[in-house]
Amino acid sequence: MKKMKVVVVALLVVMIMVSSCAGETQQTNQENGTQDNMEASTESSTDGTDGEAKDVEIVFMNYSSSGANEEVLGQMVEAFEAKNPSIKVDVRTYGFEDYFQQLATSIAGGMTPDVFELNIENFRAYASKGVLAKIDGIDTSNIHPTTLEAFAIDGQQYGLPTKFSNIVMIYNKDLFDQAGVDYPTNEWTWEEELQAATKIRAMGENYFGVYRPIQTWEFYKTVVQNGGSMMNEDQTEFTLNSPENVEALQMMIDRVNTYNVTPNMDQMGGMGDWDLFKSGRLGMLVTGIWAFSDFKDSIDFNWDIVIEPGIKQKATHFFSDAIVVSENTDKKAAAIEFASFISGSPEAAAIRLEANWDLPVALTDEVTQEYLAITPPENKQAVIDSLDYLVMAPSLEDFNAIADTLNDYLEQAVMEVLTPQEALDQAQEEISAQY
Amino acid sequence: MKLLLMRNKKWIVLFLIPSVIGYMIFSLIPMIATVYLGFSSWDIISGKPEMIGLSNYIKIFTTKEFYQVMLNTLKYIVIYIPLMVVTSMFIAGLFNTDVKSVGVFRVLLFIPVLTSWVAGAMIWRTVLSSQYGLVNNFLAVFGIAGPGWLTDPKWSMVSIALVSVWKDIGFFSLIIFGGLRNINPSIIEAARVDGANRVNVFRYITFPMVTPTLFFVLVTAIINSFQLFPQVMVMTQGGSLGSTQVMVERIYTYGFKYYQMGYAAALALILFAMIMLITLIQMKLQKKWVYYE
Amino acid sequence: MNKKIKLRSLSIVIFLLFFTTISLIPFFWMISTSLKNSGALMAIPIEWIPKEVSYDAYIKIFTKIPFLQSLANSVLITLFSTMITLTSASMAAFIFAKFDFKYKKILFTLFLASLMIPIQVTGIPMFIILTKFQLTNTYLGVIAPSIFNVFAVFLLKQHMTNIPNAYIEAAVLDGAGFVKIFLKIVVPMSIIPLTTLFVINFMNYWNDYFWPLIILTDPNKMTLPVILSKMNSQYATEYNTLMAGALISLVPILVVYAFAQKYFISGIQEGGIK
Repeated sequence: MKKMKVVVVALLVVMIMVSSCAGETQQTNQENGTQDNMEASTESSTDGTDGEAKDVEIVFMNYSSSGANEEVLGQMVEAFEAKNPSIKVDVRTYGFEDYFQQLATSIAGGMTPDVFELNIENFRAYASKGVLAKIDGIDTSNIHPTTLEAFAIDGQQYGLPTKFSNIVMIYNKDLFDQAGVDYPTNEWTWEEELQAATKIRAMGENYFGVYRPIQTWEFYKTVVQNGGSMMNEDQTEFTLNSPENVEALQMMIDRVNTYNVTPNMDQMGGMGDWDLFKSGRLGMLVTGIWAFSDFKDSIDFNWDIVIEPGIKQKATHFFSDAIVVSENTDKKAAAIEFASFISGSPEAAAIRLEANWDLPVALTDEVTQEYLAITPPENKQAVIDSLDYLVMAPSLEDFNAIADTLNDYLEQAVMEVLTPQEALDQAQEEISAQY
Repeated sequence: MKLLLMRNKKWIVLFLIPSVIGYMIFSLIPMIATVYLGFSSWDIISGKPEMIGLSNYIKIFTTKEFYQVMLNTLKYIVIYIPLMVVTSMFIAGLFNTDVKSVGVFRVLLFIPVLTSWVAGAMIWRTVLSSQYGLVNNFLAVFGIAGPGWLTDPKWSMVSIALVSVWKDIGFFSLIIFGGLRNINPSIIEAARVDGANRVNVFRYITFPMVTPTLFFVLVTAIINSFQLFPQVMVMTQGGSLGSTQVMVERIYTYGFKYYQMGYAAALALILFAMIMLITLIQMKLQKKWVYYE
Repeated sequence: MNKKIKLRSLSIVIFLLFFTTISLIPFFWMISTSLKNSGALMAIPIEWIPKEVSYDAYIKIFTKIPFLQSLANSVLITLFSTMITLTSASMAAFIFAKFDFKYKKILFTLFLASLMIPIQVTGIPMFIILTKFQLTNTYLGVIAPSIFNVFAVFLLKQHMTNIPNAYIEAAVLDGAGFVKIFLKIVVPMSIIPLTTLFVINFMNYWNDYFWPLIILTDPNKMTLPVILSKMNSQYATEYNTLMAGALISLVPILVVYAFAQKYFISGIQEGGIK
């Protein structure tokens, strides 16, 4: 028995030593990781030709191609490799749900991908932790300036946007015909929208007029439509409970509770908003342009789009995905080259357009024309026009946590546990204190 | 057994080694790492954890969220465990009869166990919808207006518990069935021959002999209940109004969404302490009701 | 007498039928949804029987993803993991059940403790350990944790404790060695919990998602659940494909369970006491 005790204790001691080494050398892990990469790339030199051209392999992690577009990404990668024969790209795609956990785990394990994808929500968090490499020396004249701005901090570029999508209002033409209402126009405000929505709602118990989700994402834009905003000009303070904001929130909630042109949770019946629209029971839907390809395939009735109605002014927001480069990789040149290709090259933009995979950021006139030619919807011009009214998400390191906290209060307002004024007051208090 | 023990110490060690090594690598070290992380602030992606002492723990115990979460979990356990144990025992008993088609039912009832929560939750969200769902439509036939099963904060956790019972019954009744199967039929026959009726057979033979299995079921089910997660994520996302927020969901969110792994680790350790406490209590109580030969 | 038995059997069947049918309602919905085309997925009133049966979802699964490859990977990984677990767990359970040694209670409690910390937290340290052993993206890396499975050890321990010592002592007197006793007496007498565990572990390893996801990066090595989850795009969930995938994943486990049934019927095998 004694012998066994000794063995067990010895093993335990060894394990504890190993684990403390593992804990302390987090930093060196990353260095070790790149050390291995360097060795790998020096070993795999191209056939015969010694000297300059050595094969470099970069690891690229992404989520946006999962599902429908893995092949399309593959085409882009092929085009890139054809242009840059000494660079090989190892593509790793994950479902969006898993991606960020996967990314974090890889980084923690010292296996940061050389180049990877981030969306606006998470960009600031990563950038402010020093994990991203600066991106300089790239010709960005092709790229839509607002999207570039979303991935820069104080003028320094840390990511190259690849695609973006904005929000529009999609409407069911057939329902409008049935209700005898005129189609929405780009000049509509919430007034006209409410009138139309009421008429459609009157068509029957299962029909609804309009849908917008009531959560932080929608909120920060809607308040701008009413002349308010989530934060002040230089983004140093929160202005959650300004009168304009409270008014806007009240309007959003009234549509659910007072006029009931927007279904409440019970009336949604476990469905998502797209489901509601696709089943032909919703007149107007405020959602992203990424819905187009799905709607094209799965909707039978006639539909089209307009710029989403404003209140006192128009405002709409956009989402974007960018490729960033790891600060700790030693293959920065290759990685930046790749990022720049996917982001701004005409080849990549063409491939993307053809596959109807969101809007390329390289918005030359040519690209725009091609984009407009792909229908439905007919009124694609509205997408381009909406670009004039873009509102950017507040650029905050703790955006996820803040958004969730605000959502809790918004939810309480919708469920009439708090009035909009109370909800926003409390949100203002809590969020200002914590962040 | 003493004989066997004295002569075969090396075999005893050998037989334990695979599990022990596995334990040390895959369990002990991560656990130690978690303890370490609980005293730190770590955003996972930018380097080493930064030690901050008890800050995480202080923050946890001084925010409302923690207590709300624990209350939600307790509500779940109080509904789920008794219902699940009793129903599983009953179904297992039915499985153990010599009716021919029972085997088919065993397999069929296992299907809910196998369905992924994503699929299951979607379906239940529709079935439980207060407007269009089957359940409320069915109740309406009897003139009962069903509540918002998932949308009403009073009912949401109840619904989650009921749906969880649906999913797990096939699983636990399988295990209990295995326990019943192990009872030597000749003992029961002997008792019958001696004139014992069905109830007494159950009370004095069957039940005692199945208590080790029941103990297993109780311990593992309670441990799992504290770690309730996938069904909440897919059915209510922690809503409505926070009435279905549970520990593991918080741990996941703080760890991977808010980049506060240290805080998440602290939460995990508190959870661990609670589960351990309850389990130890159960183990002490074993003597009173579990029958070991 | 016969009539009473028949009545009893009948009522049991009827009850089980009722209960099972209700339990399987969601399952019917899964089948129905998997056979719809993209448009009609969420119609109200709920469409139980698809207006047009469409095999789109299944075709997509069989053609657009490396289905056969991931299926093979899943089979390989699951079988190995299950066998390793059963072996290692029954060995450990035997010791816990039948022998006393100084730190037994503590060791077992420590083992149990491992069930109490969610994998969301232990996942990263486990991953880091595997990178140190350079086992990322390997089959071995995915299978390795199966060597330690408290659930299995616990269940087997409960069972083995109640194996009458008489059998074992008799074998000792007969001169049987340690391993022989284990293999010829303890294991055969544990066939029921072992079968139960085979089914349960097969199911768990087959459906395991989190671990293969973080360990395997090469799509050629990925398991079926992971590949299926990649079919969800950034924005939309295609319910028909989701359901079809879930149904396909379900089949192997049911097959295993169905085959395992006969081991339950056979009951206890009387050990070799002559």
